Amino acid sequence: MRYIPNTKEQKEEMLKEIGASSVEDLLKDIPASARVKGKLNLPSPLSEEEVKEKIYNISKKNLDFFFYKPLVGAGAYRHTVPEAVKAIISREEFYTSYTPYQPEISQGNLQSMFEYQTHISRLTGMDVVVPSIYDGASATAEAALMALRLTHKNKVIVSQLIHPHYRETLNTYVEPHDTKVVEIPYKNGLTDIEKLKDSIDNETAAVIIQSPNFFGGIEDIEKISKIAHESGAIMVQVIAESMSLGLLKQPAKMDVDIVAGEAQSFGMDINFGGPFNGYLCSKMKFIRQIPGRIAGETVDKNGNRGFVMTFRAREQDIRREKATSNICSNHALNIVAGNAYLSLVGKQGLKKIAEYNVKAAHYLRSKLLESGKFEQIDYPFFNEFILKTDNKDSLKEKLIKNNFIPPLDLSLFYPELEGFMLFCTTEIFSKDDIDSIAQIIGG
Amino acid sequence: MKLIYEKSVKGRGGFSLKEDNFPYKDISSLIPNYALSEEEKALPEVSEVDVIRHFTKLSKLNYGLDDGMYPLGSCTMKYNPKINEKLASLDNFVYAHPFTDQRYVQGSLQIMYELSEMLSEITGMDKFSLMPAAGAHGELTGVLIIRKFFKDKGEKRSKILIPDSAHGTNPASSAMAGFKVVEVPSNERGGIDIEKLNELMDEDTAGLMLTNPNTVGLFDENIEKIAEIVHSKGGLLYYDGANLNALLGIVRPGDTGFDVVHLNLHKTFSTPHGGGGPGAGAVGVKRELKEFLPSPIVGMSNGEYIFEYPTKSIGRVRAFYTNFPVIVKAYVWIMSLGSDGLREVAETSIINANYILKKLKRYYKPAYDRTCMHECVLTGREYKEFGVKTLDIAKRIMDYGFHPPTIYFPHFQPYAEETIMIEPTESESKETIDSFIETMIKISEEAKTNPELLKEAPHNTPVGRLDEVRAVRNPKLVFKGDNDK
Amino acid sequence: MAYKVIEGLYYSKDDEWAKVDGDIVTVGITDYAQDKLGDIVYLEEVEKGKKVKAGEVFTTIESVKAASDIFSPVSGEVVEIHDEVFKDPSIINKDPYGEGWMVKIKMENPDELKNLMDAKQYSEYRKE
Repeated sequence: MRYIPNTKEQKEEMLKEIGASSVEDLLKDIPASARVKGKLNLPSPLSEEEVKEKIYNISKKNLDFFFYKPLVGAGAYRHTVPEAVKAIISREEFYTSYTPYQPEISQGNLQSMFEYQTHISRLTGMDVVVPSIYDGASATAEAALMALRLTHKNKVIVSQLIHPHYRETLNTYVEPHDTKVVEIPYKNGLTDIEKLKDSIDNETAAVIIQSPNFFGGIEDIEKISKIAHESGAIMVQVIAESMSLGLLKQPAKMDVDIVAGEAQSFGMDINFGGPFNGYLCSKMKFIRQIPGRIAGETVDKNGNRGFVMTFRAREQDIRREKATSNICSNHALNIVAGNAYLSLVGKQGLKKIAEYNVKAAHYLRSKLLESGKFEQIDYPFFNEFILKTDNKDSLKEKLIKNNFIPPLDLSLFYPELEGFMLFCTTEIFSKDDIDSIAQIIGG
Repeated sequence: MKLIYEKSVKGRGGFSLKEDNFPYKDISSLIPNYALSEEEKALPEVSEVDVIRHFTKLSKLNYGLDDGMYPLGSCTMKYNPKINEKLASLDNFVYAHPFTDQRYVQGSLQIMYELSEMLSEITGMDKFSLMPAAGAHGELTGVLIIRKFFKDKGEKRSKILIPDSAHGTNPASSAMAGFKVVEVPSNERGGIDIEKLNELMDEDTAGLMLTNPNTVGLFDENIEKIAEIVHSKGGLLYYDGANLNALLGIVRPGDTGFDVVHLNLHKTFSTPHGGGGPGAGAVGVKRELKEFLPSPIVGMSNGEYIFEYPTKSIGRVRAFYTNFPVIVKAYVWIMSLGSDGLREVAETSIINANYILKKLKRYYKPAYDRTCMHECVLTGREYKEFGVKTLDIAKRIMDYGFHPPTIYFPHFQPYAEETIMIEPTESESKETIDSFIETMIKISEEAKTNPELLKEAPHNTPVGRLDEVRAVRNPKLVFKGDNDK
Repeated sequence: MAYKVIEGLYYSKDDEWAKVDGDIVTVGITDYAQDKLGDIVYLEEVEKGKKVKAGEVFTTIESVKAASDIFSPVSGEVVEIHDEVFKDPSIINKDPYGEGWMVKIKMENPDELKNLMDAKQYSEYRKE
């Protein structure tokens, strides 16, 4: 088999050296009753040509998705992923390499981590950046656990406008720790701040708000931070659409303590929902409680600058059951993708792309409202918004027929919002695209 | 090497964007003041050419699996087939949005379903979830399933048993799942101390987490007794699948009493490590635990692939469904090998590891001098008297063009100290292995005759030994300079 | 290797030393412990007035490659914190028995000292 170099003859030579007559000799510690009888019931092996045919055929059972621009985001955003990013992450030194535990031969990965930490730090204003947790959902959950550890309290306040998958994940992670999770309802597309004020008390470990929220709405984080801090709670901002950081205020400027983000918009394809890349940021004083791998700058014995993984005593291999988290393998290659993307778009590009997103979404919304076929809710938004239709099935059908993935049926997650759809437009839509869409569903 | 920030030139950019024809002049008419950033965010300004050159240079500072062997114990650094990469990158998979109606993603769902079925067959389990993003994530999922199982029965069990040889993620995951960790010692044969297990196993213990073969590369011959002890007190047996490479086609954990299993697709199933990820941590259960799996899983109904929602699910551990391209790579790998191929993988990895053990045990005393499985654990203990630590041996190995094996893990008294855990996998040829053996022997001589060479190693790498103490004492976690400096 | 052990101190099995002066007990970690840890980079803050119990964790110490719980050898109240050492824990590596002292505890129950080892016993215990 082409992945297994040693021939039958070579294996026999090696067995002889070992002092075994066959490989069965080496298996004698395994009780006979534990052994597989016969062979595993798996399909016959396929040659490279055959497996290629097979998978190509399976892929044809999906839509030709490249040609279907999605009007849905909801935590998975189709942005332009530059070919340069893909070329970089297909270099074997990046994608076949191991975790940089031996820094002297991993400076590529470690310097890249350090650069990416710097990018995210400049976008968020935060001191400490953990560049890879699995995704925004697990980052949100880890942020909650971090706040519980820091405050020794057991209640968290969570906005209902946090991505439903993120909230579910948070609930799964905090459940074993007797945590009280209080959900704050929404009002007019944003978290209901009055209800938040009513729910918060001195027993609250954290206030967790997503902005832009699941409806695309831009929350007043500064105001909410104040409320959180007045009660001694930690302020956590969740960011599912990180493209917003190209335009919106740094969380640090709004006195956020922990950021739980999803960096998928920075150079990662949608891939049916993963792998993406979560990130966690915090103030320096929390560094010993933040989970995940961090790169730090240092020097080698000759005084040359180099990078290492640092603050390792937080991690599972050293702390075991007292670790900040069990996380070991993360989504490291996506750090390289994110770094490459942010380096390519740079200071000017990220802002321009973010602006385009905002304009495209606002333009789509205004065109749809012109048709008179939608009910609106007014709130400030980034690149997603919700509108109510009384004929969602026809809307979905028309869009698919015309090669667009329909917006999200919000009633799947918010049953009280029957008829509401969550729309998203990114920079892959041209103005003409949007005019067509408006024509197709506005009629 | 310069940072990307130090290559920044004002006015440069590497992006491409459609023309903005929208009828809006000013963004501040669309975004409220309280939210707009007042300053521009200081990302670097570089061209596409600069970026490609920069990352190409960076990549050359890395050692990758396509460069040479990574004999890291329990990491199973095996060859990453290129056909896997190609097929995971097909447009119809890459551009599929997770919130598309099921009927339009039957291809993606088919891959998920069929992989789950094949993993069940390989491991002897009944149903798999492909949701976890990594092995440790799979461990957390598995232990949460165990937790929910007992909660559902109305039983309160507060402890989990974990061997002293266990990987750190085991106790970390158990603690995250709300359990108290109780350590079970290893015996002089390298397996679990059965007497101690018997003493410790009680009705307040939810179960035992076991890797088999374990982290010292040994198959625990008492596995059936172990299962009996745990089950007799109503507990569950958890299999950490990190070392499954030794068992493919030879033993199925489900046949030896395990109730919950996690697999590392980036280990046994050839998907690339990516510098630390993304991998995937599939979790398999016996049918009594099916209802607790994270939701959704993929099933089949009337010839169609559908999402199913286990009725007593532990919930979600991530957004969306799975690390999809990783799943495709594992699927293609299994399809390329078939049952005979998988068996060959296991047998070859066992031969390779025992060959190394036989040839090196004279130079590095093994933790346990007995036949190993797919990995062997040697120790650097005898070089202490020359002032040489195992760390120094590892650093010197890099000078010979190999990535060092795993060091200092496993670590438990008195057998596993100054450990060097070596797993060649089936992908390494006899020539490479012989070269590695030669290197290790040479270094053992250097340790005695020229210990300074080891203590100052590495000498032939892009940077010398790095000051990790300084990195923690004077933390520099981001570049604080201006761009262009 | 012979680790430094000082006469006249009490020792715990977790490698803490205790110097008794009336009812004030000064606490630190032994030469063996600092050697095993390697370069110490962090000592978790302890509050003055904190109530401690014999055999229970009262702080954590960290090096680059390890982290350890520090157990109190006696029960009582923390009456003094050695600020310099908390600011620069590398002092512990250099002078574990002298300048490396961490806290002073007002001891409740002198009987507890019976559960600790003396220098000779500790030397045996940590002989390598």
